[in-house]
Amino acid sequence: MPGEPEARRPVIEMLGIEKSFPGVRALHNVRFDLFPGEVHALMGENGAGKSTLMKILTGVYQPDAGEIRVDDEPAVLPGPQAAQARGISIIHQELFLMNHLTAAQNIFIGREPRKAFNLFVDEDQMKRDAAAIFKRMKIGIDPGAEVGHMTVARQQLVEIAKALSYNARVLVMDEPTSALNETEVEHLFAVIEDLKANGVGIVYITHKMDEVKRIADRVTVMRDGQYIDTLPAAATPMSKIIQMMVGRELADQHRATGHGTTEEVLRVEGLNRGHVIKNVSFTLHKGEILGFAGLMGAGRTEVARAVFGADPIDSGSIRIHGRETRVATPADAVANGIAYLSEDRKHFGLVTGMSVRDNITMASWRRYISGRVFMRDAAMDAVAKEYVAKLRVKTPSVDQVTRLLSGGNQQKVVIGKWLLRDCDILIFDEPTRGIDIGAKAEIYRLLEELAAQGKSIIVISSELPEVLRLSHRIAVMCEGRITGELDGRTATQEDIMTLATQRNATAA
Amino acid sequence: MKKTLMTSALALGLAFGAAPSFAETYFPIIAKGFSHQFWQAVKAGAEEAAARNGVTITFEGPNTEAEIDKQTDILNAAIAKNPQGLGFAALDSQAQVPALQKAADAGIPIVAFDSGVESDLPLTTCTTDNVAAAAAAADGLAKAIGEEGKVAAVIHDQTSATGIGRHDGFVNRIKEAYPKIEIVDVQYANDAVKATDTIKAMLQANPDIKGFFASNEGAAIGLSVAIKESGANIVGVGFDSGKSQKDAIMEGTLIGSITQNPVGIGQCVVDSLVKALAGETLPKVIDTGFYWYDKTNMTDPKIAAVLYD
Amino acid sequence: MSDTTMDKSGTGKPGFLSAATLQKAVAFVVLIALVLFFSIFANNFATGANAVGIMQATAVNGVLGVAVTFVIISGGIDLSVGTMMTLTAVTAGLVLTNLGMPLPIGILAAIAAGAFMGAVSGVVIAKLKIPPFIATLGMMQIARGLALVFSGAKPIYFNDTPSYSLLSPESTISKLIPGVEIPNGVMIMFIVAIIASIVLNRTIIGRMIFALGSNEEAARLSGINIDNWKILTYAICGGICGIAGLIVSSRLNSAQPALGLGYELDAIAAVVIGGTSLAGGRGTVMGTIIGAFIMSVLTNGLRVMGVLEEWKIVVTGVIIIVAVFIDIVLRKRA
Repeated sequence: MPGEPEARRPVIEMLGIEKSFPGVRALHNVRFDLFPGEVHALMGENGAGKSTLMKILTGVYQPDAGEIRVDDEPAVLPGPQAAQARGISIIHQELFLMNHLTAAQNIFIGREPRKAFNLFVDEDQMKRDAAAIFKRMKIGIDPGAEVGHMTVARQQLVEIAKALSYNARVLVMDEPTSALNETEVEHLFAVIEDLKANGVGIVYITHKMDEVKRIADRVTVMRDGQYIDTLPAAATPMSKIIQMMVGRELADQHRATGHGTTEEVLRVEGLNRGHVIKNVSFTLHKGEILGFAGLMGAGRTEVARAVFGADPIDSGSIRIHGRETRVATPADAVANGIAYLSEDRKHFGLVTGMSVRDNITMASWRRYISGRVFMRDAAMDAVAKEYVAKLRVKTPSVDQVTRLLSGGNQQKVVIGKWLLRDCDILIFDEPTRGIDIGAKAEIYRLLEELAAQGKSIIVISSELPEVLRLSHRIAVMCEGRITGELDGRTATQEDIMTLATQRNATAA
Repeated sequence: MKKTLMTSALALGLAFGAAPSFAETYFPIIAKGFSHQFWQAVKAGAEEAAARNGVTITFEGPNTEAEIDKQTDILNAAIAKNPQGLGFAALDSQAQVPALQKAADAGIPIVAFDSGVESDLPLTTCTTDNVAAAAAAADGLAKAIGEEGKVAAVIHDQTSATGIGRHDGFVNRIKEAYPKIEIVDVQYANDAVKATDTIKAMLQANPDIKGFFASNEGAAIGLSVAIKESGANIVGVGFDSGKSQKDAIMEGTLIGSITQNPVGIGQCVVDSLVKALAGETLPKVIDTGFYWYDKTNMTDPKIAAVLYD
Repeated sequence: MSDTTMDKSGTGKPGFLSAATLQKAVAFVVLIALVLFFSIFANNFATGANAVGIMQATAVNGVLGVAVTFVIISGGIDLSVGTMMTLTAVTAGLVLTNLGMPLPIGILAAIAAGAFMGAVSGVVIAKLKIPPFIATLGMMQIARGLALVFSGAKPIYFNDTPSYSLLSPESTISKLIPGVEIPNGVMIMFIVAIIASIVLNRTIIGRMIFALGSNEEAARLSGINIDNWKILTYAICGGICGIAGLIVSSRLNSAQPALGLGYELDAIAAVVIGGTSLAGGRGTVMGTIIGAFIMSVLTNGLRVMGVLEEWKIVVTGVIIIVAVFIDIVLRKRA
């Protein structure tokens, strides 16, 4: 750690940043600064505003108000090029490289050195330049190797090299280790140390507490679009950082009160799938709401899709109502009464170009045909209307295309589809994503009603208050493992966050 | 069906099995196509001559007569096999000269057929004089309509040597020899269905057409179908043969047609190559001939021999 | 996004239908305008005989268009419809002429052959996950090759089955209603279109085809066996190609094994002009029939006017682009 970074002038200062999107205030009075040769971690829950802030820093978004100062002078960054010109680069979580080009070609894309009257690309020069950057980074990548054949870790290093080739002095890294294994992470950290030594300032966005402890000099926590505080990383206990991220008191929050029966309807044991699901086991009872909490990428959606048969699994067993059951396809799952309500309704839940009626009857079409193929439109209409009324879907008619419904009503249509199909195990993945506050409360009531009627429900949610509001029991995941199980009536957000950041806690 | 399958299997077997050995004389023959009846008849003639002369041949062609590049590939592959001679019907009279030059440089004798190559490389060209043949069709049509009135033509394509030759042969002959005949329209159609619809539209536009010329088998089928469907009282003259066309002539829908001698073309190619290997000098062009045929002479053995189903 | 667009239309009319209907209406207006234009400017265009001629020129492309409409709505494409048509015609020839079977068997054989080959495409696409464009590009060549092999590269004639002309040139309806000289081939096209329309709009098959084209993943996650429905879709397409094969070979009284290349593009053009989205999930059979009519009226009218074939091709190309442009504009608005 370089001593006394405060003694120098910050390379970046952001003050009083405001940013709103239609209907949402994304950032309010946020500040942030970065010194040369410093790693500054930026932390916060999903949706806290980290990405928006960094998009403003890299010129993707323009702030509604506030000041950005680069090298102590006010700066306007109308676009990513302008930011790059000031030496500010970002390494995105999903890399933006052209797989079929070589490392050198990627690094110098759009500004290739020329030769012979500027007509030809000077490939040799380009390779030499790229090799020089790699050498400076102390990494051994062949500038002529095709990027598509490299590991993600090496691709990331190419991205960093590309940023350095712009003489980057500020490097934003968005969860750079999410796809790396441990040796690769060590290698990356070595590169980061080197960059620090060369005076590059690094903004490090991460969810991983131990990484912050390892390499960050300072940490800034954001919550709900607001700046909370900036503290020295080494001296601040993890629990304090978690508390700052979670923040709000829960006194006024509704809590789950009931609990399920003791009748076991679903038992998952030893579920494994590649690196994303590691030895996951859990049970679900009749009438119970089981919450799945964790940070993005913890593997919750993957578990849900595996249980639903949407993705193949490597190993593991699923018992439904006590019977060992093979669930290889979604059709198998549905036949066994399991429904999956995806977070991405538009892509996975609804056929948005089709009507409310067609969507509600989609999974149960066999009941509404005659003569093997003809649809019984009247019967479909009647049952669709019944569910529209029962679930209080706001739609002018059952003929309305679902694309035109609000998010809450779309969600109800999907719920209707599965209720009509007699599914009694309902897996909700982010049930209220994209749904406004009023409608959220209604969805919560609906889930509680369903549980009270004896349906068994799994709720995957990244919003901790939502998990606590709904769940009788909470399973917390981190990096493909279930790191702990909590009682929904007594658990706190801090409990969940502790488990959600507990890397390798239960390494098998 | 059995028989067809058997012969197809045989033909396939021949095609695959005919890899040349060094001991025997091998001629690859490259046509403009192979699925058309006409090419099948050429192939039959070539196979007959090959058997008679004790040589081995292969007969290949691209899928359609527009695929000049594919034909060039086939040609290059054939030259690579170092054959003793090469038969070639160029889809484009100029574009393939460089490829042929390679064969000539390797000392492979070349015989062109069907349409010529604009070069001295082929020792000879076995072909129908398309211009003269189409002029004969014009004569037959003119005679049938009393040498006056309106006529029209549908030609099988705009760009090939045969299409251009037959168009020019027909049009020029009418203009030169029959001043009272007016050509009201000439259109192009490359398959039987499209020819049918084209001819019907032309008849619609010019209800007083008395005669119609169709320049190949597909166009002639289209002409007979169009006459039947529209019930138009016109004189139709076709080109080439095929069962549809022969039937149409027998029942009077078409009054006659011109046949080339495809079997003779095939024989000519192989015979000429054999002669060339024997050191004989060949004339620059061998006209394999054409015949006017109609109801009266179709069963004449000389004609029947060159007609195909 | 759509949270804020709730109930915008408020009419209860499905938006996708209204867009498709709108474009169908646009296509229909274009068709009428073309007919009016040629009636005024092309002598001898507006006659009963020419109307019949246009219909006959539409029949094959119309039926192939209907076939490929199914596949395109399901989000796929079928490039093999033209050569598949030829293969089924050859099949009918083999069964009727070479084996001497009765006409109904020949008809069934042609449709079954098409359905079988279509199902093969479907299996390749659904099970082997080969993109439809490539799978059917392969099938286009396979069908063409098989047609040549089975026929011995020679046309097969139907002289021994005189009743074969019932399938296209003859006009049964003129015997029932004198004066209406519509050939059977055209009537078959209309019947195929009506049945196809019913299948697409009234049966679960159609519902699934629309669902596949709108959102395949959502359908899969609804527990629907999308592979089977896909295979069925391509089989239906192939079976309808069989009907086209019967019409075309009846008209020529022969199965011409070299025919059919390029017909797939005309069929796809008819579908696109008729307002069916190549992206899938949206489209109508009647639109396709109108599209096929637009193409044949254009061709016929320009020929009757004596416009060169070359220019006719240019104009058809322009019409396709304009049709797709209208599609894009309407979709943005809807």
